[in-house]
Amino acid sequence: MKMTKQGFLTGLLALAAASVVAVPTGAQQRTEVQFWHAMSGVLGERVDEVVKRFNDSQAKHTVVATNKGNYDEVINATIAAYRAKKAPQIVQIYERGFMSMLLSGAIVPVQELMTEKKQQVDFADFIKPVASYYQYKGKLMSMPFNSSTPIVFYNKEQFEKAGFEGPADTYGEFEKQLYAIKSKGIAECGTSLAGDYFWSMLENYSTVNDQPWGTRANGYDGLDTEFVYNKSRVAGQAARLQKWVNDGVAQIAGQGLSPEQLFTSGKCATYFASTAAHGSIERDPKIKWGATYLPHEADLTARNSSIGGATLWVMKGHKSEEYDAAAAFLAFVASPDLQLWWHKVTGYVPITNKAYQLAKAEGYYKDHPTREIAILQLNRGTPTPNSQGFHFGNYTQATFALREEMESVFANKKTPQQGLDDAVRRGNDLLRQFEKLNAGKY
Amino acid sequence: MQASTSVSPALPGPAAIAAPRRRRLGGTQGLKRAHYRETRLPLLLLVPQLLVLLLFFFIPALRALSQAFVLTDPFGSSVQFVWFDNFRDLFASPEYRSSIGVTVWFTLAQNALTIMVAGILAFATDRVVRGRGLYRSVVLLPYAIAPVIAGILWAFLFNPSVGPAAFVLKSLGIAWDPNRSGFDSFLLITLAASWKHICYNYIFLVAALLAVPASLLEAAAVDGAGPLLRFFRIALPMIGPTVFFLLVMNFVYGFFETFAIVDAVTHGGPGGATMILVYKVYIDGFVHINLGSSAAQSVVMMVFALVLTVLQFRYVERNVNYDV
Repeated sequence: MKMTKQGFLTGLLALAAASVVAVPTGAQQRTEVQFWHAMSGVLGERVDEVVKRFNDSQAKHTVVATNKGNYDEVINATIAAYRAKKAPQIVQIYERGFMSMLLSGAIVPVQELMTEKKQQVDFADFIKPVASYYQYKGKLMSMPFNSSTPIVFYNKEQFEKAGFEGPADTYGEFEKQLYAIKSKGIAECGTSLAGDYFWSMLENYSTVNDQPWGTRANGYDGLDTEFVYNKSRVAGQAARLQKWVNDGVAQIAGQGLSPEQLFTSGKCATYFASTAAHGSIERDPKIKWGATYLPHEADLTARNSSIGGATLWVMKGHKSEEYDAAAAFLAFVASPDLQLWWHKVTGYVPITNKAYQLAKAEGYYKDHPTREIAILQLNRGTPTPNSQGFHFGNYTQATFALREEMESVFANKKTPQQGLDDAVRRGNDLLRQFEKLNAGKY
Repeated sequence: MQASTSVSPALPGPAAIAAPRRRRLGGTQGLKRAHYRETRLPLLLLVPQLLVLLLFFFIPALRALSQAFVLTDPFGSSVQFVWFDNFRDLFASPEYRSSIGVTVWFTLAQNALTIMVAGILAFATDRVVRGRGLYRSVVLLPYAIAPVIAGILWAFLFNPSVGPAAFVLKSLGIAWDPNRSGFDSFLLITLAASWKHICYNYIFLVAALLAVPASLLEAAAVDGAGPLLRFFRIALPMIGPTVFFLLVMNFVYGFFETFAIVDAVTHGGPGGATMILVYKVYIDGFVHINLGSSAAQSVVMMVFALVLTVLQFRYVERNVNYDV
């Protein structure tokens, strides 16, 4: 008891001393900026480490990182804080929130900020599909931070047992393999549908096969864009997924069970997931697994896949020295060394070519060949208007509509075509609402 | 008003008891006014509750009402007044109409199931001779479980891949897959929501049944009425007010408080099959930040709840006898 009391007193004294030391202004005073993020668990610890490294690397700025829940909660907290004029300086927002953030009038474009604050960032060096997703009129609006892209994880033993070397490149062949694995009783199901299958198996199907998801270059050329994926080859893909689910080749994990478990327990032979899933799959290897590129259509050339993840936005309404700090932190985040480390500990892709070259030079991919797949897939060919990304307003809501309609398709309540038509109709209503609200801003 | 102050706070005479209920309620002969001649104290005592109501009900309700008529971006940088567009869009959307249908069915099914099961359990309480305390505790247990936990429990039990209950269903040859079948998932949240609320109903019903005079039941028994007949002919009419109260409470519960269960069990899916109105308000407002639409939905819900409550009081209460 006495010890605790003494400890407490000493702590108090130390605090008092610290505040006395901190009060005098001068060259040593550190500017504090807030950074809200959506990374929890192990990833949250990694973010804390990034921040600690930054704070230790210099004496002028202090970044304080706070986890505000998941992506939805972070954007909500930011909006509430902005309305109360208490927004953080830096905030991590998912890729689907791009248009909302861009036209919010609440942000400072990152590339302009970096130029103004004379921070050295090689903007031409960013991995193309990463940069193109977050660019507006050729300039980065937010700083890429954690980017990923889906790849295919597969169970090596099950594929070998079925007489295949690995998953096929084309969807036609790939499908045959899954059916063979199931019908021979090697695995209970061919693939476990991840929670974000709409991203890995529909959106990315569209980008890899160079299909238009919407008009006006997927929304890059104007707010009057309309979804058209119900009229592209995506309709065939939706029909394929329905067939897989009906035949038990694809399994939906459902609430209370993680789809990844269906794969890592050996129940399903493949798993379409973000390359960031490496972290958890590697940690708990009950099966011998490999990974490969997303399949594509045999009659179409495979292009780059598109990204998912989040970027760091800088919010309006703060002091100049706070922007100095924010700019310094963003430059630090984009630096090759930090990106290399981040890539290795999290499984996200390095966002610059320099970081990628560093990883290659130190032989990282010799030991971890599957870690390179994502970046090779992102760098495949030059991004086309169909594969550069998605600039749609109200996109989280439109995605939600697509997911709901696909659920009706999986329940055989709607045909794949009906489902996609309804998703497009609902999505277009949301686009029109966004256009009406933001007329003349884009 | 004048008369009331002069009347002494004695028990009402036999005439007052015989008078119709409505007049008694409308009259001023109660004990309350006679005791508190001062008006300041009651007002003072009311202030905390009024403040809570103002802060947590009236102000948010007014905000919702004003939000329902505008189109705004999440950050509030552009706001357009759109009159009734938000409401028109709502009722034009097949998804919203289907959500209304789901809510109505869900509330009805949940209400019926809850009160019936709770009724049977309460009826059985008297017939449990050994371990009555244990029986009661077990029945009351679910009430202590947080809705989210309850939801996850049910979701896991009935998960088609790993759930034990789903396994039993499968071995019985019953096709079960709430991830795909809208009916299955609807059934699942109805069961989960009812299970969670049965205990609440049970407490009230047991208490009400205890208040039924034993002499009446015994007299009926002497006349040869069996337990079921005694329950339906004597006990049930006498606990009518409680049952009515529970119907209203269950309705409110199903309408507003089942949010956590839906969130944990189905997320409103598959394909909107369990998208009850309150969950849709949450998804559109808090996940998708479509504030105008979400506010309009809240207003519709409020009106809906008001209308149904009034209807219940008008038509159901007529058949409830308070004067037993």
